[in-house]
Amino acid sequence: MLEEIKKIENSFLQEIERVKTLEELEALRIKYLGRKSFISQAFSQIPNLEREQRAELGKVLNATKEKIVFLLDEKRKTLSMQEEKIDLTIPPFPVERGIKHVLTQVNGEICGIFEKLGFIIIEGKEIEDEWHNFEALNIPLEHPSRDVFDTFYLDLPPISKDKGKLLLRSHTSPSQIRVMKKMRPPLAVVSPGRVYRPDKVDASHSFMFHQIEGFCVDRNINFSHLKGVLFYFAKSFFSSQVKLRFRPHYFPFTEPSAEVDLSCILCEGRGCSVCSYKGWVEILGCGMIHPEVLKACKISPKEYQGFAFGMGIERIAMLKYRINDIRLFFENDLRFLEQFYEV
Amino acid sequence: MKFSLNFVKEFIDLKESPQKVANLLTMAGLEVEHIYREGHDWILETEVTSNRPDWLSIVGIAYELSALLRRKLKVKIPRLITKPLLKEIDIIIEDKEGCPIYLARLIKGVKVEDSPSWLKHKIVACGINPVNNIVDITNYCMIKWGNPLHAFDFDKIEGNVYVRRAKKEEKFTGLDEKERILTEENLVISDERKIIALAGIIGGKNTEVDQNTKNILLEGAIFSPVRIRRSRRAMGIETESSYRFERRVSWERLKIASQEAVNLILSLGGGKLYGCIEKGRRPQKKTRRIVISLPHLENYLGERIPKQEVKTILTYLGFQVEKVYKEKLCLKPPSLRMDVSYPVDVYEEVARIYGYDRIKPTLPFIPKQIYSSFYQFKKVLRDFLISLGIKEIITYSITSQSLLEELKEKNFIKISNPLRQQENVLRPTLLCGGIEAVKHNLNQKAFSLKFFEIANIYFKEEKSYKEKANLAIAFSGERNQAFYLKGVVREVLRFANIKDYSWVPTEKANFTNALDIVKDSQSLGFLGKIDSRLKEKFDLTEDLYFAQIDLEKLWEKREPRYFSPFSRFPVVFRDISIALKEVKFSQLEEIIKKEAGNYFKGVEVIDIYQGKKIPPQIFALTLRVYYQAQDRTLTSLEVDAMHDRIRKILGEIEGVILR
Repeated sequence: MLEEIKKIENSFLQEIERVKTLEELEALRIKYLGRKSFISQAFSQIPNLEREQRAELGKVLNATKEKIVFLLDEKRKTLSMQEEKIDLTIPPFPVERGIKHVLTQVNGEICGIFEKLGFIIIEGKEIEDEWHNFEALNIPLEHPSRDVFDTFYLDLPPISKDKGKLLLRSHTSPSQIRVMKKMRPPLAVVSPGRVYRPDKVDASHSFMFHQIEGFCVDRNINFSHLKGVLFYFAKSFFSSQVKLRFRPHYFPFTEPSAEVDLSCILCEGRGCSVCSYKGWVEILGCGMIHPEVLKACKISPKEYQGFAFGMGIERIAMLKYRINDIRLFFENDLRFLEQFYEV
Repeated sequence: MKFSLNFVKEFIDLKESPQKVANLLTMAGLEVEHIYREGHDWILETEVTSNRPDWLSIVGIAYELSALLRRKLKVKIPRLITKPLLKEIDIIIEDKEGCPIYLARLIKGVKVEDSPSWLKHKIVACGINPVNNIVDITNYCMIKWGNPLHAFDFDKIEGNVYVRRAKKEEKFTGLDEKERILTEENLVISDERKIIALAGIIGGKNTEVDQNTKNILLEGAIFSPVRIRRSRRAMGIETESSYRFERRVSWERLKIASQEAVNLILSLGGGKLYGCIEKGRRPQKKTRRIVISLPHLENYLGERIPKQEVKTILTYLGFQVEKVYKEKLCLKPPSLRMDVSYPVDVYEEVARIYGYDRIKPTLPFIPKQIYSSFYQFKKVLRDFLISLGIKEIITYSITSQSLLEELKEKNFIKISNPLRQQENVLRPTLLCGGIEAVKHNLNQKAFSLKFFEIANIYFKEEKSYKEKANLAIAFSGERNQAFYLKGVVREVLRFANIKDYSWVPTEKANFTNALDIVKDSQSLGFLGKIDSRLKEKFDLTEDLYFAQIDLEKLWEKREPRYFSPFSRFPVVFRDISIALKEVKFSQLEEIIKKEAGNYFKGVEVIDIYQGKKIPPQIFALTLRVYYQAQDRTLTSLEVDAMHDRIRKILGEIEGVILR
């Protein structure tokens, strides 16, 4: 009997060496420990044996069983560890995600910065009239200052005589007029949206693009505040390292007026092709709202004063992400859209 | 404007480097866009804003530098000679509004030849081609003083000279040899027989100064900016001369420029001044006086600039500080600065010269404003769609009329002055942009396209128009996305918490299997698959599923959201495999709902079989019915009984086959 047990054990030891899978291992377990196995059978015969034999056989059987159980267990561990191994050089599976268009991302980021300062967002209208787009903004008819605002006119009858012809707004500044006519100061508003100009399409021009207009009106709003707000914006949006340069300029709707240049983020002011070797890139126009503009909105310039600014979203996005062609924004190629993540 | 730095240096001492000068001007508002060396000279190319015509002259730039550097000017004003009176011809101004003043000088016996090199160099450096000594002198004086002048060959003028409007379809050939057909918008200079110049824009070929010219009539004038603008726009032309007249030229310098031209002609071309004539006059204008208050200046700029510094800045800019009354200054602006008329204009002058960069930035106190807006609604809807894995696109609002006609659209708004035929109308549907974006990506071999756009559409309405925010959803690149699209639209409706709406099958141009989303008998939008005609028309390689929803209506119909309690007892489901012929799922759903009563939790289609074994017109579906009680756990016996009953009832309907 003892010899047979030894034989069983040896044959187990040989067979377990050949086991390659968990299924084979399970079969082996059944073979050696199952109900019909030699060992189980041997255990059931114990009560029939002599007393001394019982003890000895029991001891040996138990030892053998324990050994088999132990080895099976060890083998299971090795096998299961082996089976979890896969080719980890296989690339990750593509995961589909929803994406905000990069212009929406940049617009949201810019508006968010101004919201933190207490500005609220109010949209204007894309179809405007001459009064809101020009006259109320102190841009006289038949004046060279209108040349920079080439405009698409619409084949629609005017809404009222004194508001002039209907057109596609050439800038977001008419939002200023709409809000100031409806709401009283104190006001701090940003107004993003699409604008249109009959420009020939090329890498840096588009007949449709986006702007954000911002303005703030109260009793004591001044030029220093304008600078503070725009510094806050530029440092939050680009980096705390950027420098700004306020350069006097002319806009009919602001006085004093300025164009704001950003120290070139590419060359840090040393001069490169992005900044045409000037070290500065223009990012926006701004100024103190002209008294005539306030008057057009029935706000007394004696009581109130304020600042306004306007910037092109494409331009800011192009600077931030080093995008070299404005047409990419409207082509909606997945290989473009997928490059951007909201920050 | 392009100018030579050496020319400027004739009027002000500059020891600063050209780069330093360029930077000074840029930071004062005269942006120097390019600067480069040319021999011993430096050329600066500037962008002159339309409010500063004084910067269109060398003397004007010297004035600016004198204020910036607080340095004296060396400008010599020639002595004005107005005699003898010109008797040989008369000048008749018919359009006094178009030409308030006209001066003419007759010089006889000149020799027309090439200019000396110093003169040539000067005008070339400022971007003007040399012609001959006479023409070059007029250009030189224009660049120096900012007032355009013109020289006629006196012997080619027949009779008196008139300043008048052109008659309709009068012809005129300019020095550029182009013949133009004029309109009544054009202001012209003519003699008794012919037009000799397009006033303020270009001279006539017929009175050109050439090698044989002996006698010269020199014109100096003020033309109305609006008239010149209309005239040159009508002809589609812009010249150095019209550019300046349109922006206003100086009254004071007119006579100076004219006198200097006379002096130069006499010294370089010889000849003798025969006569002077002056017609029209400067309209009487009140002298401008501007009173500024120093505390207001400080409150406006947010920077305290000492009174003395304010006075110095203004004095160097040519302002006369006439009275100082406590904290107020009474100012007379320089005559050249026609752009200065409000106190804020003076504030800009002070701030500009003081330096914008010296004004400290501070943050204002902004009172909190409460608002809720449609913009915010669109913003969160956008976030929501992105959370569903859909990608946002932005497409052009402007498209072509031919495309819209292809889409059978009406009531669209046309652009009166389109740049190209491809962009001549405003879109009344977001479909055009959706198709373009899908098509582009399909052609790039991208598959699985899930796009949305939130943008306005525009259309005519009786005597008026509408501009309305809409949501477009476009899916393509994978088969049979009709129900996925329906699912996304349902999610959007859930997002706005729209209740009691219905899906109404509808006929829609360009679409097959279209559904209208109807709420309170109004359409909130639609969805469908674009039909094969359109698919072919646009060369789409895959089907396009499209939905468009009116966001203003969605915003209007949205309802407040409240928590609704739910049963915590387990849900049990049973499946039914079924084939339908001319029976709609919605009919089955109604029966199931009715039969299951309070225990009805929902029914969904978990599988749609489409195989060769199943004939067309037959839809083979697997339905999964969910049962749940509010107050207890349903036993499987109960559910089985209920489910078997439902199965039996469904099986008895004609056109339903249980499988």
